[in-house]
Amino acid sequence: MLSLRSDPRLFELARRVEYFAREKFNMTLPEMRFFILDPMEFAALLEKNVYPTSPINIWEGKKIANKKHRIETGQESALYYEVVQTGNPSYAYLNETNSALTQASVMAHVAGHCEFSELNVLHDSDRDRTEYVMHLVRKVDLARRQMGERRYIDYWNACESALPFIAPNSQYNLENSIDQETTMAKGAIEPARTPERERPPLNLVSDTLNAILKFDEPRPFVEAEKQRDRHEALSRRGYSLRAPCQDILGFLRQYAPTSRAERAVLDYLYISHHHQDFVIRTQIMNEGWAMYWEKKIMMELFGEDAVRGAIDYAKVFSGVCYPRPFFQRNPYHLGYHMWLHIEELYREGKMSLAYHEETDLDAKREWKQPDQSDPQECMRHLVKTITDYEFLRRFLTPELVEKFHLNRLDQRTAQRLGVKNEDIVRADRQWVWLNPEPIPNEMLGFFAHYYRPRVYIIDTDYLDGGLLLMHRDDGRRLRADWIRPTLNNLNRIWKAPVYLLSKDKLYGASASGYKESTVAEVPFEAVVERLGKQQQPFKAA
Amino acid sequence: MDVDRITSDESEGFFNDFIEDQLNDLVEEIINEGELDRGDASGSDLIIEMNDIEPPTLVYGDGGGGGGGGPGSGEPGDEKGKLKFEVPFERFMELVADKLHLPDLTKEGKGRIKEVSYQFKTFGPVGVILDKKRTFKRALRTSIGTGVYRPEEGRHDVEIRRKDRRYKVPQREEHPKYNAVVFYMGDISYSTFGERLELEKRLLNFVHHWLDFNYGKNNVEHRFFVHDVEAYEVTPEQFYQVSNIGGTRASLVFDLVSNIALNEYNPATTNFYGFYVGDGELFGNDAKEIVEILKERLHPMFNRLALVEIQPSRMSCLNTEVAKAFSSDRVIRTCALKGKNEIIKVIKHMFEARHA
Repeated sequence: MLSLRSDPRLFELARRVEYFAREKFNMTLPEMRFFILDPMEFAALLEKNVYPTSPINIWEGKKIANKKHRIETGQESALYYEVVQTGNPSYAYLNETNSALTQASVMAHVAGHCEFSELNVLHDSDRDRTEYVMHLVRKVDLARRQMGERRYIDYWNACESALPFIAPNSQYNLENSIDQETTMAKGAIEPARTPERERPPLNLVSDTLNAILKFDEPRPFVEAEKQRDRHEALSRRGYSLRAPCQDILGFLRQYAPTSRAERAVLDYLYISHHHQDFVIRTQIMNEGWAMYWEKKIMMELFGEDAVRGAIDYAKVFSGVCYPRPFFQRNPYHLGYHMWLHIEELYREGKMSLAYHEETDLDAKREWKQPDQSDPQECMRHLVKTITDYEFLRRFLTPELVEKFHLNRLDQRTAQRLGVKNEDIVRADRQWVWLNPEPIPNEMLGFFAHYYRPRVYIIDTDYLDGGLLLMHRDDGRRLRADWIRPTLNNLNRIWKAPVYLLSKDKLYGASASGYKESTVAEVPFEAVVERLGKQQQPFKAA
Repeated sequence: MDVDRITSDESEGFFNDFIEDQLNDLVEEIINEGELDRGDASGSDLIIEMNDIEPPTLVYGDGGGGGGGGPGSGEPGDEKGKLKFEVPFERFMELVADKLHLPDLTKEGKGRIKEVSYQFKTFGPVGVILDKKRTFKRALRTSIGTGVYRPEEGRHDVEIRRKDRRYKVPQREEHPKYNAVVFYMGDISYSTFGERLELEKRLLNFVHHWLDFNYGKNNVEHRFFVHDVEAYEVTPEQFYQVSNIGGTRASLVFDLVSNIALNEYNPATTNFYGFYVGDGELFGNDAKEIVEILKERLHPMFNRLALVEIQPSRMSCLNTEVAKAFSSDRVIRTCALKGKNEIIKVIKHMFEARHA
């Protein structure tokens, strides 16, 4: 790994890129540190989640062995376009085999990612992220020695089972789901209050008389008792669940009983992976933003002859931004063109109230009434306020689907997928075009589940201290042979029984064994409501 | 940042250790099942499949898991849900030898000298000798990808970039400079088919591999002989195919082998091995004649000579006679192979070190 200073030409290029980004385009950038890596270092970096160090683990070993084999046998190129770990400072890595032109475009691209990370509503950028992870790696190395090799491997492997369940930006994240002694869950649903009942004509004071008259309004002291019980439970355990919690690994990291060494492993895995949630929720905007600024900066570099090869760059750029059908969306292509479209909307004043209230279609079509606002500042405002879901929901229209070729697929793919004739609006020898109308909604569906099962913690004291998880029904079954080992692994972390509710099945893993039983199905919405009311979310019959 | 080089070597080593353990378990399983003839007679690398390792988690039943691969002692490959390895034949035999506690064979002849050669077996992005064919293939692939090569438009340019270049990387290889000759002798007068034939094949296949492994594949000559009332040399393929019903005289084959060993090889530079398989049912003075040949001609010359009675009957007498003359001998070994589960025992007995 070499410092950028070891290559004076690249160092100068980086200076120019930063100059244009900060001074000319007024970008909000953290400190950006560039390093030069050889191809195998690049491959290793990717397997380490873009951090320079990682604790010893078998999964990374497996992936790098596989990658090496693929590179050596020519199945995979060792050339990667760009890799950056955002944060403040940001660490970006350049592949030593790339040409100066490519290095410049990578640096410009990185600037785009860094600004996006700084500005975005999910507040991704944090101080010294890479340094903190490297500190955690050292802690895990110490933990490995404390735990001994066997226990370390077992514990790490157990944590791997929970790794896909990191959701710090979910609606049901820790912040919104867990009451602590000091902080109350933000998104907790207030217990529904029963409407004021008509008071009886007499102010009855006798309980016996109340019972005889079946006067069932909750007595004030009962509510107070419940309140006190809740507070005591909170005080005893330090937390209580007010809503389902989707950030399962985050929860285990905070509340599972762990030794210091185990906590170090959980901390490392959570911190080094939680950034991926931001990536998946903002990938289209983020990559589009990076491509947008990359091109702007590259044009400036070409303008002052800092780099040469505009035609080569155009070829690479068009390759990266090649359109793909909506189900194989290319975030570079879609994001870039969406941002260009939005820029045009702002430039022509089409985001104004007047434009939306205009009823004359011809006038709308010809609309060009730019206001005083800077389109790029308006785009930055969008970055600061929304993520991919809202980005697509607000701006992706069927017309744009058609324009960006999101509804176009080649004949062979259409045949392979069994596309029906009624879904095809037109076709030629090479392509078929699908009806663009339903496509925006189809694309939004991804953001509900990200092609992963949605699993939540719904009870942390199920059957005396058990952790109850719920798989939110979306019509698909879980892989059956992995439920048991997964629950066993979670049981190892939680150190008490762990249950999973999926449709009408209740699976349970504890020290005494594993069992499955059939139960009555409970809708997720009912669980949310019960938790909001501080009721038990699920009771096995 | 105080990192000189970003590397996953430690994790990779960790994974390789795991695979090594798995491989050991697999070899143990192979040994327990007596399936030591996994490789073919050519001694090529073995392809071993094991279930992929993947951390279990909650995924959809119709789309989770699988994939991946990694190296153990050999080359990894990809197949959904499977780890596929090419284990070099030598490595496999090493593991087997280790498990069976088989000693290194005593190699006599030209001493401990090894032949060193360099073979171009691997290809890398750096080096001295450019592999033009591989380089061109990569360049062509890239040119098609980047659109430089478009025959349909009459553009036949191929752009060779630095990263397309593939160089031949020499690999040092050491071969032991020993020679060995192995005489396989089989009795075709008895009904050699079905389980008997299977046992014979398994046993001799292992012997074949084991000696190839110890001396180097190209340094061992394997010769096959059969007998009924006559003895003659056959090809390896014929060895398991020819059969005859009728009388038998085994001493003839020992006589033939001793003549060939003496006349065709230099005893000073050659290691001799002999393996006789048959039902051990001999008539007249046949067994005694064999003992004589062994004592006078073969014992002084051979490193190891094993006589194996395959599924012997009450009539089998060869081993009884030979054992009387060579009990606890360093060279001559007698064994009886009754079933598949005894193959390991027989192999151990045939090759175990025993001091005279």
